[in-house]
Amino acid sequence: MTLQLGEKHFSSAQPESAVRRIVTFRVGDRTFGIDVGMVREIKGWQATTPLPHSAPHVRGVLNLRGVILAVYDLRTSIGLGTTEASATHVIVVVDVDDKTAGLLVDSVSDIVDVPVSAVRPAPDLERDEHGLIEGLVLLDTDIVALLDLAAVIRDGGVEQQVAKAARPN
Amino acid sequence: MDALAELKQTFFQECEELLGALEQRLQALDEGSTDPEDVNAAFRAIHSIKGGAGAFGCTELVAFAHVFEASLDHLRSGRVAIEDAPFTLFLRCSDAVADLVSAARNDEPARPRPDLLEALEQVGKAPGSAPAAAPAPAAPAAPVAPAAAPITAPANDAPLGVAALGNLLAMVEAKTTGQAPAAATDGWDDEPAAPAKAGREVTLRINPESDLFRRVIEPRVVLAALPAEDIVSIVCDMSQVPSLETLDVADCHMRFVVTMRTELSVEEIYSRFDFTLAAEEFEIEVAAEEAPAPAPVAARHAAPAAPAAPAAPEVPAGVAADLSAILAKLGPAPSAAPEPDIKPAAPAPVAVSAPAAVEAAPAPRAAPRPPANDASAARQRQAVSVRVDLDRIDKLMNLVGEIVITQSMLVECVRSLPYDVYAKTAEGILTLSRQTRELQDHVMAVRAQPVKAVFQRMPRLVRELAQTLGKEVRLVLEGENTEVDKTIIEELADPLTHMIRNSMDHGVETPDERAAAGKPTEGTIKLVAEHRAGRIVISVTDDGRGINRERLLAKARSRGLVGADERLAPEEIDQLIFAAGLSTAEVISDVSGRGVGMDVVRRNVESLGGRISVDSEPGRGCKFTLALPLTLAVLEGMVIRCGDDRYVIPISSVIETQHLASTPIEHLTFGQEVLRWRGEVTPLYRLGSVMGSTGNPNENIIIIAETERGDNVGIAVDEIVGQQQVVVKSLEANYGTVNGASAATILGDGLVALILDIDSMLRLAATGNRQPAIELKLAG
Repeated sequence: MTLQLGEKHFSSAQPESAVRRIVTFRVGDRTFGIDVGMVREIKGWQATTPLPHSAPHVRGVLNLRGVILAVYDLRTSIGLGTTEASATHVIVVVDVDDKTAGLLVDSVSDIVDVPVSAVRPAPDLERDEHGLIEGLVLLDTDIVALLDLAAVIRDGGVEQQVAKAARPN
Repeated sequence: MDALAELKQTFFQECEELLGALEQRLQALDEGSTDPEDVNAAFRAIHSIKGGAGAFGCTELVAFAHVFEASLDHLRSGRVAIEDAPFTLFLRCSDAVADLVSAARNDEPARPRPDLLEALEQVGKAPGSAPAAAPAPAAPAAPVAPAAAPITAPANDAPLGVAALGNLLAMVEAKTTGQAPAAATDGWDDEPAAPAKAGREVTLRINPESDLFRRVIEPRVVLAALPAEDIVSIVCDMSQVPSLETLDVADCHMRFVVTMRTELSVEEIYSRFDFTLAAEEFEIEVAAEEAPAPAPVAARHAAPAAPAAPAAPEVPAGVAADLSAILAKLGPAPSAAPEPDIKPAAPAPVAVSAPAAVEAAPAPRAAPRPPANDASAARQRQAVSVRVDLDRIDKLMNLVGEIVITQSMLVECVRSLPYDVYAKTAEGILTLSRQTRELQDHVMAVRAQPVKAVFQRMPRLVRELAQTLGKEVRLVLEGENTEVDKTIIEELADPLTHMIRNSMDHGVETPDERAAAGKPTEGTIKLVAEHRAGRIVISVTDDGRGINRERLLAKARSRGLVGADERLAPEEIDQLIFAAGLSTAEVISDVSGRGVGMDVVRRNVESLGGRISVDSEPGRGCKFTLALPLTLAVLEGMVIRCGDDRYVIPISSVIETQHLASTPIEHLTFGQEVLRWRGEVTPLYRLGSVMGSTGNPNENIIIIAETERGDNVGIAVDEIVGQQQVVVKSLEANYGTVNGASAATILGDGLVALILDIDSMLRLAATGNRQPAIELKLAG
């Protein structure tokens, strides 16, 4: 079984039910993916307003056409520090549960169709203590880590308390 | 939500309005109005409630409303003079109807009110007349033979269907043979028709439209509008009734010819059908004065329905089974609304309920036609008002908020343009900003509702409390039409209830005490709403005993709220009523007196950005004044900067601002800074460190703000950017609670700013790395 990293790979021969369409994006040299259905829109970086004593990966809140939503720095979530956000950075606006949130990433790379059977469960990654990775997809050139968005965002809630206690003065 | 549930929802919404109208009219009558329109309106309201309730199977409600309606009908028909009517009873009944409605709405069991029912049934009874066995005409309508049971047995007041027909036949029969059934409250309790009666002979041809039942009107109701003693004969013309196969039981095919000798004028007869028939549905013929009185004609179709015979010859007993089959086919029958006085022996409830299932939209039609003279006015009213989902208005409001923000963004962009372009653009922008402001005002106006919605609940509260407390109190409402945003309306009910309770319990004295003090035994509580300075001001004034200052002060001293040797001005003592845990009531009652009343009210009011105060004059009364912003969707804020971040402080929290340099700051040992402000030691918080502002705050401006408890704190910030109206945006919707902030807003440049919540900020400061702020005692 081979999978192409299709430039325009929308016409898959696979029966639709067995295929997951995934948006992939990059943070540093890593590739992550989420189901396309969760993505509401993709927009360029826009300055956020920091929230007091929030978790480190909560960049702050921004105004998306009158709706206020929080932006999470995926780089911080995976333990690579803070993104030096610039105009080239991208916010992926996603719907998680009943909330809308922004995910700060370096760039969005592709939309790929992946057979459900090609999604492997995440290996027991010691570093992924928060369970952010839901599964892995092996593409020709790349490994795409599928994110559990709820965990990325929930993590913010948990860490908020921790961060507050450990807040440097 | 399925269609039926939606309709039900609409019905309950209407009920609320109708209950309001009912109570208002009854109140007016109770206060001495003799306007027949008040009676009519009250009757219409209860009639509509009953009709809708029947359609939705709210049995208890229908039963009660029916009896209530019947007694109101006595007033309408003049059998009971308005002056003699027991409006206190009626008001209690309207409360009971409200209870039944809310029980039905919440699917809770309703509390039966046999006491009220009984009292209602006495209304309109000539003293000494035998009490009727049942309030509804149905139960005694037994002359109908059991053979026709499927049609006639559930002869109740359900708005639609064949049952009505059977019921009617019984009525017609009874009427024409002079055996008025003991249907006391339905207007048939009068003596049997007097055969030789003075007056002109009048022939009425009643040709109802086929949707009569769907209007929740039945022929019995139509005919009951005529004085029973004047009726010579009623003939039911059933020639238009189609065969069973094609019969839609929800349609009315019956026509009537009523012959009567009456002294009523044509206009009076017309007005008697105001509620039931459109003008084109009946004709009135007045016979020549000297025409010989015809022998009473026995109703052609009613006559066979004599007790011994089957009820409807057109429907032989053998067909009955077919009929039930047809009715059963019409759809699953939700339980209709048989009245409780109908014997459960009624065999085939399907007959009544099927039409209700067939007719999917009975509720909107439930309202009886308005009286003819009101008809055009009513039509106009319908044309100018629409029911709009609040969600839609909220969306509109949000969008307008967007426009306001975008527009202020544009203003900032335009500033950077070269002059020649700027001049032109600025003009356009100016117009735009005026228009957006106007748009915002109009949308706010759409959201605005009269405070009536809340005020209306208060008369009932006062009535009930007056009874519990044994006091006589008159409630005067003023300015009910003052409008505020619906967000505020929702928040008003609790504080108002508390304040009224407080006045009823602690303010107004018992009649004896009042008499002894030389006051009228009936106390007065005035509830007034008005607009003042961009706020809504609501006051509750009573003419009771006022606040007992000595007792209040003693209590405050004993609780350590006031120092033993502290001297307070009388007005300051009065304000102690808002302190937590203070109640001067000697007896803890159900009503109030647990000392959790007024401080809760104050806290709620202040959390809405409002204020509450009290003025008391011992022996003369007490006045609570509540001032609230007109909306919660927009607030007047002071925009401040600290480091790189901007925040909004609600103007209502700000007392004053000053330069840090002009204020002596002292450091207490545990790192807490304090400043002396107006002779008080006031804790000082640096916004940058409390809220973790980015950049390098220099914090040389101090804002003195007030906390919910009325304490003052100093907050050090860098700069006051300006003061403006801000649109309140939720942080919870997409994120969660943010300590220190109540919500957020969007500033002119499109960036988000947090709206600070002083109390939450102080808690944040206390739970941070610093020591909890100790309770700073006010230094005299």
